[in-house]
Amino acid sequence: MLAYTLKRLLAGGITVWFIATATFVAMHQVPGDPLMNDKAVTPEIRKNLEQKYGLDKSATEQYFIFLGNMLRGDFGISFTQQNRRVNDIIRDHFPVSATLGLLAIFFAATGGVLWGALTAIYRNRLPDIIIMFLVILGISVPSFVFAALGQLLLVNINSMLGQSLIPVAGWGTFAHMLMPSLVLGLGTMAFLTRLMRSSMLEVVNEEYIKTARAKGLSPVRIFFRHQLRNAILPVITVLGPQVAAITTGGFVVELVFAIPGLGRYFVQAVQQLDYTVIMGTTVFYGAFLVFMVILVDIIYGFVDPRVRLE
Amino acid sequence: MNNRILEVEDLSVEFSTYGGDVKAVRGVSFAVTRGETMAIVGESGCGKSVTVQAIMGIIPMPPGRITSGSAKLDGNELLGLSPKEANEFRGIQIGMIFQDPMTSLNPTMTIGDQIAETLVVHRHKTYAEASRQAIDLLEKTHIPEAAKRVTQYPFEFSGGMLQRAMIAQSLACNPSILIADEPTTALDVTIQGQILELMDELQRTENMSIILITHDLAVVARMADEVAVMYAGQIVESGSVEDIFYESSHPYTLGLKSAMPSNIGDRDKKLTPIIGSPPDLFSPPHGCGYFARCPYAMRMCEDMQPTNFSVQRTEDHHARCWLQHEAAPAVAEVSQSNQDKDNAG
Repeated sequence: MLAYTLKRLLAGGITVWFIATATFVAMHQVPGDPLMNDKAVTPEIRKNLEQKYGLDKSATEQYFIFLGNMLRGDFGISFTQQNRRVNDIIRDHFPVSATLGLLAIFFAATGGVLWGALTAIYRNRLPDIIIMFLVILGISVPSFVFAALGQLLLVNINSMLGQSLIPVAGWGTFAHMLMPSLVLGLGTMAFLTRLMRSSMLEVVNEEYIKTARAKGLSPVRIFFRHQLRNAILPVITVLGPQVAAITTGGFVVELVFAIPGLGRYFVQAVQQLDYTVIMGTTVFYGAFLVFMVILVDIIYGFVDPRVRLE
Repeated sequence: MNNRILEVEDLSVEFSTYGGDVKAVRGVSFAVTRGETMAIVGESGCGKSVTVQAIMGIIPMPPGRITSGSAKLDGNELLGLSPKEANEFRGIQIGMIFQDPMTSLNPTMTIGDQIAETLVVHRHKTYAEASRQAIDLLEKTHIPEAAKRVTQYPFEFSGGMLQRAMIAQSLACNPSILIADEPTTALDVTIQGQILELMDELQRTENMSIILITHDLAVVARMADEVAVMYAGQIVESGSVEDIFYESSHPYTLGLKSAMPSNIGDRDKKLTPIIGSPPDLFSPPHGCGYFARCPYAMRMCEDMQPTNFSVQRTEDHHARCWLQHEAAPAVAEVSQSNQDKDNAG
């Protein structure tokens, strides 16, 4: 198990290096540079700035400087935000995005397993049809629509109660997190519901369910001890990439709910060609994704004994 | 004490599908004698598995439906029970093992837990007690290092070992009947022999009845006391194992026998298949189901369902064939009760 984990971590490190290199190359292929946005830069100032930031060096040289710094855990200073270190940006804003994302994943996973199991039990009957209709909505309607609808709902509830029970936007308390994480997790919840449903229906037809019935076990016991655990395996498999997708993809939701997450900086940096911030956030998110996938694979081993020995 | 532990009367099972109702089992009756082995033999799709699954109440309903019949275990009706009532006998009085041991055990539970579960549920034991008993059960089925094996998962077992574990699991509550649904079909021949030997041994030590479902006549000859031959959802011939093999009274039984390879005689001799295929059970024929494939078919066989004739040579030997009618012509290969009379006359 330890050897397996180490092997996965090493492979993960190589993956991150690939991500870093690809991002670096792609970024330098884009026309323009970080200094273009500044108004009326005289050639002299431009030269001085380029010298200061090392932009006058060749791309290869810049690449190795970047790699060296990255290995030391230093992503450098932002080009567009005065004297702000990329590490500080990540440290200040990633925890917000991560909290939001993990809460969203929690909603998505519990909801997905619950609704998926429910639709499988009520297959082709009214509850199944209703939930599957909502699932199609959840998958096809973009999150900013749900975000706006969620806010509208909160406004109505608050005005009906005459007090601000759950804040409509902002960040700080647990109450702030509820609506945005629910909205953020909705698409994934819908996706997981479908996955769980088909997985449940597959497991019901397995021979070992027939064995369990022939053993004289109650339907409730069969459901919880034999069906659910086996049906949940595919859901866990996709959970890793989904965690990363949600934590990084929360940009729109963060914007609508005025949440100071990392997503905003990520998008801004791309628009302004803020090299260091782009590199920093991309590599960081990439490493996060890789780590999450490894983590889920390790968790998977605890749920499915067949994976453990390999 | 009644010597018949299980009596099945006129059992019919249908399945609703998009194409219509499949009449999978059509009026099956048989009885199992205490401490003996009853074999149900027939080709794929003849309804042998559906018959025993209907008795166990593990047919998915819908689409399945038991349209008529009764099954009495020691005089108590088994059909039409609620799941709760059915769990009073499933796993307790009747144990069951299946065709493919590789897929018949839960892949995410240890072997020990799966055996112990039966005891925890039915005998209200703690998991610790039940786990200890699980080791004894595995030893009873001759699994070496049972104490270590209980903590392992199904994927760490070989096919033969898994079937032994399945048997151990089904024996947990000392059932009076073990239903074995093609228990050796998925195993290779040497393992097959070992499993049959084990079942034979356990039958003697545990004094239980076995219902053995198979399509392998060699297995029948080795294991069975009584045999029921099924074809197209009906039992076409039933009797003692000697009756079936030496006094075959239904052309289908004869066909099965001649399709069997033999190690005596001419090795270059080709096997004789039964030409054709079984009838469509969406709309079963009015007459005999075997009519289209039967070399001895008569005109009446097409339109009239044969009655279940008693072949009066021995007790309890029955054949569902018009050749057993006293007016039927004598056929050399088929044992007929009226043959002696014909020969004499």
